[in-house]
Amino acid sequence: MRPTAEEQLEGTCRILETVVSPQVIEPFARTILANLIANLRMVTAALPMISSFLRDDNDATCAQLLAMREVLPRELTERIDHAVAAGKPDNCDGIALEERNRSLRELLAAAINSGHLTRDMLGSVEKHMVERASRNPMRYVPTVATTHNQSERS
Amino acid sequence: MNASSNTMATDDQSGSNDLADRVEGGLRQLISHAVPSAEQIAVTRLSRAAGGLSRENWTVDVSWVGSTGRQQYRLMLMRDAAGTLLNTERSREYDVLKALEKSQVVAPQVFWMDPQGSFLGAPSLVMERMPGECDYMVLNGERPLKNRLQLARDFLRLLVDIQSVNWRVTGLDVSLGLPEKSPSAIQLDHWVAEYDSVRLEPHPELDYVLQWLARRAPDAETIVLVHGDFKPGNALVEGNRITAMLDWETAHLGDPLEDLGWITNPVRGREHQIEGHWEREQIVATYRELTGRSVSDADLTWWNVFSCWKLAIIQLTAISEFVAGRYDRVFQTPTWLYRPMFRMMESVQ
Repeated sequence: MRPTAEEQLEGTCRILETVVSPQVIEPFARTILANLIANLRMVTAALPMISSFLRDDNDATCAQLLAMREVLPRELTERIDHAVAAGKPDNCDGIALEERNRSLRELLAAAINSGHLTRDMLGSVEKHMVERASRNPMRYVPTVATTHNQSERS
Repeated sequence: MNASSNTMATDDQSGSNDLADRVEGGLRQLISHAVPSAEQIAVTRLSRAAGGLSRENWTVDVSWVGSTGRQQYRLMLMRDAAGTLLNTERSREYDVLKALEKSQVVAPQVFWMDPQGSFLGAPSLVMERMPGECDYMVLNGERPLKNRLQLARDFLRLLVDIQSVNWRVTGLDVSLGLPEKSPSAIQLDHWVAEYDSVRLEPHPELDYVLQWLARRAPDAETIVLVHGDFKPGNALVEGNRITAMLDWETAHLGDPLEDLGWITNPVRGREHQIEGHWEREQIVATYRELTGRSVSDADLTWWNVFSCWKLAIIQLTAISEFVAGRYDRVFQTPTWLYRPMFRMMESVQ
């Protein structure tokens, strides 16, 4: 399907940079535009990885929840069982993958906040969270200049 | 000053020229209100600057003829942006800047305030435009090491000067409020409320850190004036001299380790530290020497972790505002902060 989504986004960045940006004179608008273009490039690169990231994170989060199930209050274990039993969404359904990720992470947050996790479980959760952070394809792209006068500061 | 008449709508959606016209008109009225004898008010070179994540920054020159003759000033006008990262009050910054005029802390002279936006359409503050340049990375820039080290020491000296401000004499205990319990607990409560109001999805990582922070909130050795965002990026430097500390909108009375916790933080260390020369060990040793205060390493680490967690919440605020259509920059969930926070937490287990 050409142009692919990535080609269209990349082309949009190019046009914004070469056609639109030179016409933008106001400093504030230029800063905003630079941030938008940089972020759009990041999203373009991240887009093909998002589904697989969510799928893998859903599996890893499920594994964490099942491993800590025995120490959690009954109400929470029932919610975990219900979420696990719901099954995996279709890998092509981005919205369903996102929603499952949200609900599993909500359960993980509830488990952490329960105060029932053992030291080993917390160590395992921490490792999981660090790995997730390192694989997350969406990353902030800093574009603000580091040098300003008084008026230009954030 | 509280204005009685509402002279300007709060809508910023019109063109930038319209906005500039409105700001110019609002400023004229603010001057007329603040200086009743002012005649021949001239507002020139009004320009919105590129910066300003949490508010609009405008540079402007003004002059008028008043009872004491012709007055002429180079000013900065800070006006709350429609989408803002920090919910702050202009009056807080105004009161602090007024108090600092009687201290040895270098800061701009504050002129006027429009706390409800009655003149300027949004809460605003007008202050002196100071010389110098603000460089986030000045401690690791092109200056020779000797000069950068001197600047680093001067920044710490400035922090100690801020902490030396007598908040009783200057009345800051009244305007900022004296902490009624441990400052760490107050700060944590404040930012937890912000976290609860801005998060758009679960963040187990931030909950995990919050659990740790809540269990270990330390007591303060004493109560001092806290800047709240002390960094080279909020200071002006001319040559090798710090000419002003800016951005007092999050100032409050609190724990001396709060600002120290930000500058000794390994995250964004390139802003605050010089590798091998001015790191946590040297900063704390010099701070102890200058203040005579004991600095508990565990307590300081708590503030290190807290400052990262607070930064994460500020970024969640930016995301929330962006999604709501009130903020024009795109931020992401601050996953880059997780590992450093976990490491610091482990160091004091």
